[in-house]
Amino acid sequence: MARIQLENVKKSFGKVQALDGVTLEVKDKEFYVLFGPAGAGKTTILNCIAGIVMPEEGMVKFDDEVMNLVDPAHRNVAMVFENYALYPQMTVYDNMASALRSKLYKTDEDKIKEKVLWAAKIMKMENLLERLPSQLSNGQKQRVAMGRALVRTPNVFLMDEPLAHLDAKLRNSMRTELKEMQANLGSTCIYVTHDFMEAMALGDRIAIINEGKIVQIGTSDEIYYMPCNEFTAQLMGDPQINIINAEILGDKDGYSVSFPVKRETVTLPLPKDDRVYDVIRVDGLKQVDFGIRPQNVKYSFEPKEGYFKTTVYSYESIGNKSVISAECGDFLHYQLRMIAPNGLNVEIDSDIYLRFEMDHVILFDPETKEYIVRYDEAGIQALSDQTAAANA
Amino acid sequence: MAGLTLKHLYKRYDNSGKKKKIKNDFAVQDLNLVCEQGEFVALLGPSGCGKTTTLRMIAGLEEITDGEIYIGERLVNNLHPKDRNIGLAFEDYAMYPPLNVYGNVAFNLRAKGVDKEEIDRKVRGIAPLMQIDDLLDKMPVKLSGGQKQRVNIARAIIREPELLLMDEPLSHLDGKARQAMRTEIKRLINKIKCTTVYVTHDQLEAMSLADKIAIINFGVLQQFGTPTEVYDNPANEFVASFIGEPPMNILETTIINKDGTFFFTFKDSNLQIAVPKRYYSVVSDGFRCKVGVRPMDVLVGGEDSQGSPEEIATFENLGDERRIGIHVGDILLMLITEDERRYKRGDIIKLEVRGEKTHLFDIETGERIREQN
Repeated sequence: MARIQLENVKKSFGKVQALDGVTLEVKDKEFYVLFGPAGAGKTTILNCIAGIVMPEEGMVKFDDEVMNLVDPAHRNVAMVFENYALYPQMTVYDNMASALRSKLYKTDEDKIKEKVLWAAKIMKMENLLERLPSQLSNGQKQRVAMGRALVRTPNVFLMDEPLAHLDAKLRNSMRTELKEMQANLGSTCIYVTHDFMEAMALGDRIAIINEGKIVQIGTSDEIYYMPCNEFTAQLMGDPQINIINAEILGDKDGYSVSFPVKRETVTLPLPKDDRVYDVIRVDGLKQVDFGIRPQNVKYSFEPKEGYFKTTVYSYESIGNKSVISAECGDFLHYQLRMIAPNGLNVEIDSDIYLRFEMDHVILFDPETKEYIVRYDEAGIQALSDQTAAANA
Repeated sequence: MAGLTLKHLYKRYDNSGKKKKIKNDFAVQDLNLVCEQGEFVALLGPSGCGKTTTLRMIAGLEEITDGEIYIGERLVNNLHPKDRNIGLAFEDYAMYPPLNVYGNVAFNLRAKGVDKEEIDRKVRGIAPLMQIDDLLDKMPVKLSGGQKQRVNIARAIIREPELLLMDEPLSHLDGKARQAMRTEIKRLINKIKCTTVYVTHDQLEAMSLADKIAIINFGVLQQFGTPTEVYDNPANEFVASFIGEPPMNILETTIINKDGTFFFTFKDSNLQIAVPKRYYSVVSDGFRCKVGVRPMDVLVGGEDSQGSPEEIATFENLGDERRIGIHVGDILLMLITEDERRYKRGDIIKLEVRGEKTHLFDIETGERIREQN
């Protein structure tokens, strides 16, 4: 097992700058997630570590040893891809044993058997060993592909969207299983995904990648609660965070945010907090983008003290709960999303009254879209530490 | 008034059941369905369950083996598809590439010989509804998937059909676009109030769009009801496990009687859950069945909880919510919590179950075992 470092790695494909100075360090035995939209450069980073892609600049190091010029075969990395690439004519057992039987790793059959059975146990497929790939479901195929990577005790596992092929239900249950296996793996793992739930659930740390650059590195709590910019905030969470451009009114005795809803102006006080108020005063903030997650928007179908009025745009189930969108624009459409239970009787275009839990807002700079401040940063750091301690 | 009525509808493909000896060689078997005028009905089921076959029979693209189809009050069994007054929107858009969006939308009406001004009025009327007003001059190749599907639907509804049929219209689109289109379709159907039959294998789509859902498996209707009915009151194990994400926890159980109180017990597990009183009339000591409960209805009890202490096997923090998995025998029982607390593998929690939300299923047939009053 190894510590992986990338230092200022650059790579371009023709005119496209795929990686633009990526620096990161994956600790020994860490489960490290590379997360970002399609085309961000996640897979290219993985390929640089595997040695399939040569960086034009920068270093790739395993345990402080520079690997740039080492063959992929001699880096001892194990890759798992989205498509499973199993040998169709071999049984599951032989598929898993194939790497150990190759010239490079030549191992005797008793040892192979021991390793395959061990990996099969972790991946929960002891009863599948005699089957051919054609007799497996997609979820089982992916488990075989992972098991095959496992038997080699590599320096690092590189997993490239291993669950992306599977349908939603299977993906969720495989993710849970993977989480369960993670503790038994005990090895460094770099995992590429564009699914925020996979990133949140699996990653000890997450690196957010966009346009070939690292945007933010942090634990799932840090990234979810203190996203470094609006882009990151919008990637995390489904339904997406609401971001509203507002004016800041008042002075240090009481600030509030003011923004248009339909043709009215709504003014909501920002709860008093020395740290948040200091930031607003010192930076002299006049305009702000404030983000509020859907679960922090409360609603009522009757007028209520402290609630402002708008209309229902849509009401949709997203599984175990539903999302209400409320139309808040006038000429331009713009909707606020909030969480509601399933099975409500909601008329489209009927009146709805909203309240924000203002102590959950995140303030962003409206120009640069970067994070400014939020309430209770210390509490979030404590949550993050709690998770880190649990994973250790 | 009924918008669409299916009576004892059967479909058997000529070649089915010959090669493989399968139990049920009907693609659709004894399907009875009544959709009210203006209702949005989803046909939902796994692939190969017969939902598309049903839709194609309604459209007249597939011959009926037996049964009757009424659109409104009209028996349409022997009508040509073009005389059935239906609008169709399929998964792939099948647009005429040499025509611009306007031409594509207007095509049907032109073919019918509707006069030019009337066509123009209709196209311009429907364009803002489908949010394609800016696209009318564009060629199909220039459109994104979502835009193409909007044009496709506009084309289906411009004829003002009595019945709108849609077959997985969103499955080509990626996640975000699909969600946005789902909202748009819902608002649109709400406005035009056209009876709609919508085929999908995505339970989320069915739950969020439909007034009523018909759940089909192996060609047989499992349940027909509102989204709330099928979610809260599933007819059988198949419906219970198909609807909802993450799916309902369904566990085999043996019921035991301890001093007059019944408990659910599980193989290779110490977990015991009190049987809700309402089931007392149907259970007995040693009674075996399956018990189902949704992840939202399993709770983490507080300090003074009487719940069964269980060890956490998996803990996933998903930001918006947290999911906890607990081993019950070799099954992972899932629960969802919005509590901010961070647990770890190996922590002990007190497990509580909302008794009123449990369902019992027959161990062999999967049919719901209902309490008797």
